[in-house]
Amino acid sequence: MTATMTTSTKTARRGEHGKDHRPTRRRAGPAPVARGVWPLMLPAVIVTGFLVILPVLYTVWLSVSDRRPDGSNSGFVGWANFSRMLDDPLFWNSVRVTLFLFVVCLVVETLLGLALGYLLSIDVPGRRIFQGLMLIPAITASVAVALVWLLIYDPSLGAANQILDAVGIDPVVWLGDPNIAPWSIAIVDIWQWTPFMALIIAAGIRSLPSDPFEAASIDGASNWRKARHVGLPLLMPVISVAVLLRTVDLVRFFDTVYVMTQGGPVNSTNTLNVYGYRTAFIDQQASYAAALQLSLLVLVVAIAGLFTWWRRRQTIEY
Amino acid sequence: MSTDTAQARGRRIVPVYAGYLVAALVFFGPVVFMLWSAFRRNVDITGSIFDITTPLTLGNFTNLFERFAFVYYIRNSFVIAGGSTLLGLILGVPAAYVIVRRRLASVGFLTLLARMAPGVMFVLPLFVLSVNIGAPSNTGLNFLLLIAAHLIITLPLCIWLLIPFFEDIPISLEEAAMLDGCSVIQRFRNVVLPLALPGLSVAVTLSFIFSWNFFLFALALANNDTLPLPVIAFNFIGQGASDYGGLMAASALISLPAFLLTIFAQRWLVRGLTGGAVK
Repeated sequence: MTATMTTSTKTARRGEHGKDHRPTRRRAGPAPVARGVWPLMLPAVIVTGFLVILPVLYTVWLSVSDRRPDGSNSGFVGWANFSRMLDDPLFWNSVRVTLFLFVVCLVVETLLGLALGYLLSIDVPGRRIFQGLMLIPAITASVAVALVWLLIYDPSLGAANQILDAVGIDPVVWLGDPNIAPWSIAIVDIWQWTPFMALIIAAGIRSLPSDPFEAASIDGASNWRKARHVGLPLLMPVISVAVLLRTVDLVRFFDTVYVMTQGGPVNSTNTLNVYGYRTAFIDQQASYAAALQLSLLVLVVAIAGLFTWWRRRQTIEY
Repeated sequence: MSTDTAQARGRRIVPVYAGYLVAALVFFGPVVFMLWSAFRRNVDITGSIFDITTPLTLGNFTNLFERFAFVYYIRNSFVIAGGSTLLGLILGVPAAYVIVRRRLASVGFLTLLARMAPGVMFVLPLFVLSVNIGAPSNTGLNFLLLIAAHLIITLPLCIWLLIPFFEDIPISLEEAAMLDGCSVIQRFRNVVLPLALPGLSVAVTLSFIFSWNFFLFALALANNDTLPLPVIAFNFIGQGASDYGGLMAASALISLPAFLLTIFAQRWLVRGLTGGAVK
């Protein structure tokens, strides 16, 4: 980090000299008041290094060594933990569970978010207040969210089955059935994060320019065609930001799952993050857990990279 | 959009409010259900949800404080969230200032990467560290470790929230101070900080809530004397098999700061939640 800072300082200085003759020179390089301020940043840089970079390096070391539950480490073991991972059906199961939750939640949250976002973008009295209140699910502590949904999903006393019963549908074993539990968990995430998605999309809709829509109206486009062929493409950058933010969180899915099912029943909700945690703290296999977590980090970075690439393509296209 | 008459606005109010009603039922329903259940007796909670005439009681809350000493868990949550917020601010405020004045947007983005990494990645090394320094049996050390761990949340958040506030401070004020012979530190303390006060209050509130809500680090690192609210509420599930009233009261207590925030600082909430992607 220090290295990065020195380089950027140099670049900035060079920029200043190069543009000496231009009247707006202050915009190019650091203003005089900005000289000598960088030591103020040093504490944050050092702490970030200790808190973020050291743990990652240590995790890399753990993943290629063998730490025992008693705390001793028998040293470098090469790729052993990673090859074990590739042969571990539980690992592949957790990859599947993670991708399932990721796809289901993201698709539903985006579609519902578009609809709700449109609703929240319409100018009516009280819009701002309602929009603010819609943040409540996202800001509520995930543990509290998980606990209230545990009560809602309770097989005999829960609100969900009581409501189903009232409309004449048979009770559902929400969290006890391996085929249903992943869907139940997905519902909780969709409930918690759709309004958040909608809020970002609503902000995007409200900042859309009106000219393209007027042009489309003159050309005789229907409302649906205007939304589909003018609005949606213009909204793509905003939607992709929201999608990226949710992606990063969904791949690391932990709190709700851990509180509600701890990965069960029969590992049907065992996401990569939960599996990594259980391996480290319940099975006490730190080294194997480190390998699992590194694979998760790779997955997060890969998906984030993919989206950045996709987003760039979208921007060029329109 | 531009040809907006009062009549047209009147016509769409009804369907929009109908939409609001549906959205409110779906998205506020579970929260209202939680708050309501927190004030109901266990016999009623396990009864019909359609029976809204059952008596309300404070019993679940008094139970939490009398039988489970919740005062201590609230205190622990305050120590951890307060400590990490304070440290995040002390480190983040000058850093955000430098990022703005030197236009180091890329460095600011680096701190955001910390948010993207899975929390479990930090927990394992921190746990090994805590065992090595004897933190599991030492309350003070344990608190320090938890505060440091929560810095991973609060520091990037503080930096990202403060950047737009520093951007709004006119550079001419600092130039004037410089001509008067103020040093960097004096300028920062006497000119910049007072002007950034609104930003500081936003950063304090949001950091506090995010740290208060955070579950994973304390789950792995806390000992019996440092357990914060989210973890004790989680441990509760096993203990009081069907004490749903207690669980809901605990959930309500955990959620309280966040609810207050939604009312008072909602404008900044979006930026906090989106990591600066949306202003």
